[in-house]
Amino acid sequence: MDSDDDFISNMSSEDDVMQDDTDNDDLSAADEEFDVFDDEPDDNPAVTSMKSDKKKGVSFDVSFRVYRPIDVQNQQDEMIDEVNMILEMKKEDAAIMLRHFRWNKERLIEDYMDNPTKVLEAAGLGPSSSRPPELEVIPGFMCDICCEDEDGLLSFAMKCGHRYCADCYRRYLTQKIREEGEAARIQCPTDGCQRIMDSRSLDILLTSDLNERYRELLNRTFVEDKDILKWCPAPDCENAVECGIKKKDLDKVVPTVDCACGHRFCFGCSLNDHQPAPCELVKKWLKKCADDSETANWISANTKECPKCNSTIEKNGGCNHMTCRKCKHEFCWMCMGLWSEHGTAWYNCNRFEEKSGSEARDAQAKSRVSLERYLHYYNRYANHEQSARLDKDMYQKTEKKMVQLQTASGMSWIEVQYLNMASQALQTCRQTLKWTYAFAFYLARNNLTEIFEDNQKDLEMAVEALSEMFEKPITELADAKLKVDMMDKTAYCKKRRVILLDDTADNLANGRWTFSIDLKGLTAGAGSTGPRR
Amino acid sequence: MSLCTLRLGEERKQWRKDHPFGFWARPVKNAQGVLDLKTWECGIPGKEKTIWEGGLYKMTMIFPDEYPTKPPKCKFTPPLFHPNVYPSGTVCLSILNEDEGWKPAITVKAIALGVQDLLDNPNPDSPAQAEAYNLFKRDRIEYEKRVKRTVRDNAAS
Repeated sequence: MDSDDDFISNMSSEDDVMQDDTDNDDLSAADEEFDVFDDEPDDNPAVTSMKSDKKKGVSFDVSFRVYRPIDVQNQQDEMIDEVNMILEMKKEDAAIMLRHFRWNKERLIEDYMDNPTKVLEAAGLGPSSSRPPELEVIPGFMCDICCEDEDGLLSFAMKCGHRYCADCYRRYLTQKIREEGEAARIQCPTDGCQRIMDSRSLDILLTSDLNERYRELLNRTFVEDKDILKWCPAPDCENAVECGIKKKDLDKVVPTVDCACGHRFCFGCSLNDHQPAPCELVKKWLKKCADDSETANWISANTKECPKCNSTIEKNGGCNHMTCRKCKHEFCWMCMGLWSEHGTAWYNCNRFEEKSGSEARDAQAKSRVSLERYLHYYNRYANHEQSARLDKDMYQKTEKKMVQLQTASGMSWIEVQYLNMASQALQTCRQTLKWTYAFAFYLARNNLTEIFEDNQKDLEMAVEALSEMFEKPITELADAKLKVDMMDKTAYCKKRRVILLDDTADNLANGRWTFSIDLKGLTAGAGSTGPRR
Repeated sequence: MSLCTLRLGEERKQWRKDHPFGFWARPVKNAQGVLDLKTWECGIPGKEKTIWEGGLYKMTMIFPDEYPTKPPKCKFTPPLFHPNVYPSGTVCLSILNEDEGWKPAITVKAIALGVQDLLDNPNPDSPAQAEAYNLFKRDRIEYEKRVKRTVRDNAAS
């Protein structure tokens, strides 16, 4: 699927190449060329061909499409029209049927051909009289809901024939749509009648603002019912994203998508972009972090484990003779050896060489190592996360810096844009680095891991160097030499990030990584399920 | 008159005209002797040929201002030994839940019959009190013994 967004992401990776080529050129020339490319996609055939080559090269990009609310509406309408033509049923009935079948058009048509009566019944479109529904005045009618029976009372009934006054219908629908956020499955107000309110009937009954809300809710069920569609999780963003990545493939690919609103998120789990780590790994890592990090730090500093049952013990006073509360094992706090072997040398342990003691200490050391290993990765992960949090101010800080720099050095707006480029590169690279640590924690050691760590180290060092340059005072930033260095570094960071992600994604797709956890896991359901209200 | 009281007035008329055998239902009078249409008291008889037969269980229906858009709250007074009755006496039934099966066309008569049906057909998927639920699940004999005691305590005169 070729979309604009694909195009843009390709452009940006191409930028890397472009900038790299011009690194050693004259500064202003490089700048100009860069901007030209950024602003208007070129129609030059040579560039186009390079682009498609490039696309094959980057294995961590997935194809996707962004739908605006109007596109979601159109897609529904198209499917409804199709069913309406093939099965020759009314459009509103086709819509109800499609919703009942969770927009699986093929299955609907197949099942309907098999047994139309049964399918209609199940979808809440049971046997009906042929008269189209409309508001009517029926002499002698009394509404069973409000018990009103005045002359000229407007009443309404769907094809099931259950008739109520228009006001009661409206009240009922308002309650369902406004208060309960229901849309696709609003039933007839009669006890036990499962007939679904169709959109024609709603058009007759609803005020325009309520109808709008109804359409909105219907659109939601459309997106939520379809596995290849997902809402952009950014606040106030109304777009949906379509991506063909299946849940079962989430151990092979990390489907990061870019919404038109600028939010980058994972299509698999709707969390923020977490490349290169796969969804299941991310889920496990986040859970581990939520459970462990603070506690682990404290445990590491203040406790030891019982050499027999591994219960964690804090010594809060008293002598070295420990009796485990849980297993009643008696041991010495100093050497961790059996207390019974201590003879009469109580309270003064000098038995360091004894076998039982050293074994116990070995076991303990092992468990400490695993804890320290976790903390090693966690601290680095948390560090980047912290920096990412600070990024919130980053944009404003950069803006300010660019203005200051313009006044201090007399550079034009366009000439200070490299600062913005650097700031953006820093943010994306940190996001990637953060997840490389979670990724590495679950990775078994082998040659691939070495390469991965080299890539990681390289990117990390480049990012830190760039970060340092970025923090320099304005007076130094005005130096032309520093500007060149920063632009070089920015390009280098971006390129290293692409290399790292590309390599990781490629190995992931081909199943070459060995993880210490099962990534097949329960990936299903990691995303947002259930209706958003 | 508001929709709520209009409907309740009509419900009362209908009930007096015709109601299922063995049941009773009427709005209560407040301290000043004025009829309060939004609070009804009623008696639900146990169904024939069930362990609940012979009892008449007193229940209060409290109608909200939004009735019939929203359902009334139904409460056994005193609280009843039953898996789907909360310790407070409130009945847990899908048609009495506004997010579930409540429809504005459900009448007082339909509610009364629905609650009667619930007596002998408890729904083990939504327990409301631990005592009756646990006995119902684990010790049916003891459960029935307790129900029979309840019937005796609420014998229809």
